[in-house]
Amino acid sequence: MTGPNGRALVLAMGNDLLGDDAVGLHAARMLRCVAPGHVDVVETGEAGFALLEFMHGYDHVLILDAIQTLECQPGSILRYSREDFTALLHPSPHYAGLPDLERLARQSGLHFPTHIAILAMEVEEMRHIGEELSPAVASALQHFVRDALQVLISWNGVS
Amino acid sequence: MMQDNTAASPAQKKRRRITVDPITRLEGHGKIDIFLDDKGEVERALFQVPELRGFEVFSVGRPAEDMPQITSRICGVCPTAHHMASTKALDDLYKVTPPPTALLLRELIYNMFMLEDHALHVYILGGPDFIVGPDAPAAKRNVVGVIEKAGLEVGKRVISMRRRLRECIAMLGGKVVHPVFGLPGGVARGLASDDLAHFREVAREGLDFARFTLQILRDIVLANDDYVALITGDTYTHRTYYMGMVDDHNRVNFYDGNIRVVDPSGDVYARFPAQNYLDYVAEHVEPWSYVKFCYLKPVGWNGFTEGAESGIYSVAPLARLNAAQAMATEEAQKACDEYFATLGQPVHHTLANHWARVIEMLQAAERIVELVHDPAITGSEIRTLPTAIPTSGIGAVEAPRGTLFHHYETDEKGVLTKANLIVATQNNSARMAMSVEKAAKDLIHNGEVSDGLLNRIEMAFRAYDPCHACATHALPGQMPLIVRLRGIDGAVLQEYSR
Repeated sequence: MTGPNGRALVLAMGNDLLGDDAVGLHAARMLRCVAPGHVDVVETGEAGFALLEFMHGYDHVLILDAIQTLECQPGSILRYSREDFTALLHPSPHYAGLPDLERLARQSGLHFPTHIAILAMEVEEMRHIGEELSPAVASALQHFVRDALQVLISWNGVS
Repeated sequence: MMQDNTAASPAQKKRRRITVDPITRLEGHGKIDIFLDDKGEVERALFQVPELRGFEVFSVGRPAEDMPQITSRICGVCPTAHHMASTKALDDLYKVTPPPTALLLRELIYNMFMLEDHALHVYILGGPDFIVGPDAPAAKRNVVGVIEKAGLEVGKRVISMRRRLRECIAMLGGKVVHPVFGLPGGVARGLASDDLAHFREVAREGLDFARFTLQILRDIVLANDDYVALITGDTYTHRTYYMGMVDDHNRVNFYDGNIRVVDPSGDVYARFPAQNYLDYVAEHVEPWSYVKFCYLKPVGWNGFTEGAESGIYSVAPLARLNAAQAMATEEAQKACDEYFATLGQPVHHTLANHWARVIEMLQAAERIVELVHDPAITGSEIRTLPTAIPTSGIGAVEAPRGTLFHHYETDEKGVLTKANLIVATQNNSARMAMSVEKAAKDLIHNGEVSDGLLNRIEMAFRAYDPCHACATHALPGQMPLIVRLRGIDGAVLQEYSR
């Protein structure tokens, strides 16, 4: 790893009281047991600019999250990169996204990760308060962890 | 930039529905439906939010002691507010008074949270409106625009200050989002004498930072006559009741005190302990919204109307300053004097929430300094063990976004049989709906909708710093604003996106 602190970050986002929304957190807990030693695994329920505080100092960041595109089956794993979000202008500063974080970091002279990967699982239910994952999401969890591990290994290989 | 993707005939434009819907990939947020009549004038604007279901069912049957952790996990935006309101509800449930050191520590943590949360709003969330300016092009209405206007060092300073405050919160309470700090009758961890120097250093920096923020406000906002005219303009003005927590001297207090309510003239209407909230707060249901609209029970619900005859009230910084007789600290009081001298008292201008927020930052920062220099802050007695048999407990704090009530009922073993939360945004929901409708009516005529107009309408609710999902987090990046114009039959006539 080439980051300033020599470590990679897995940043899992979600609310563990909102059903499938917590799938990234569940994956993080499994990943923590098997991830290489140079990887920090962090779970957060925060969003927007708060995430910059987590990402600052890392060169490689893997984000795990839930997503609802309604365009694929629950349990499907979608991969995005930093470039997928380049052209977007957010309508409200409440919904600051990666491009805003990067601009803020660069403008302020803060280090921003050069490698960002996003793995998001298509989920089914995240409006009811509850701690259970829906069956399709629960059964795809191990694949989510496997894919995350592959991203981390691929980064390790090129660094 | 907005794009008009489809064309509509003049006949189709007769009665239209405009939907302002900031959709995230993960969950819905606030949505505004604007209905136009046949002349293109606004007939009604409805501010809607998605429903979060099942909290009560989830809570019943759990030990009450779990609630400070559970409720703080509901919301990634103000976990400390839920944690503290819940902890205070447990004090009340077990009829136990925490020792003085525990109260000081709770207040310290709480003021640190208020300072960092208000900072986030002033610079990042509301700043693009307030600092950059409402008429700036969309490309500048973001944090980059704020930095360009306020100076290159600002971004770094905001991030650094928030991080240092949050580190202090974490030193005492574990994770910021999932704090393990408040217990019935006290706190879980005291402040070690060895850590005091660090806390004092952060406190000093926090106060410098709050003073710096007030200066930015003076230099950029108050020096601009157009801006002051916008704040005081009729579009964003409502004469309602105001609610906020005050100490024994009727000064603003975020952590504890009585709830004070003033009428639209600024005269005191009520002053009551949080435990009596059900005598004063009632909820009105509208078929078009999941949100229950709070109003003052003794005054009654009189529709979405202003004035002393309408029970609609407001919370959050603007309301807190109106509801109190003074600030609790010296510099904040001076800033407050300037605020009322400029805007009158009480202040009815919604956009003044941003200014009031900066004054509150200053009070929080000054109070932090006082607390870390209180000799009792490092005391070792931090908990009074509860002995009473629980039945019912109510706790309230001033969340950054306004008064927050937690109300639990339990069996004799402390297992929940009922849980009710009134969150800050809910207290504000009726006035917020009025603000959005008024802005829409003032700014949209002849069916003309532009990027700037929609921003002015969004500004109305951004001033309240609303937090609706109580579960907000989002995959970063893709948050398009979609505006749909619909005919009476629901068919999409025009679609804008940006």
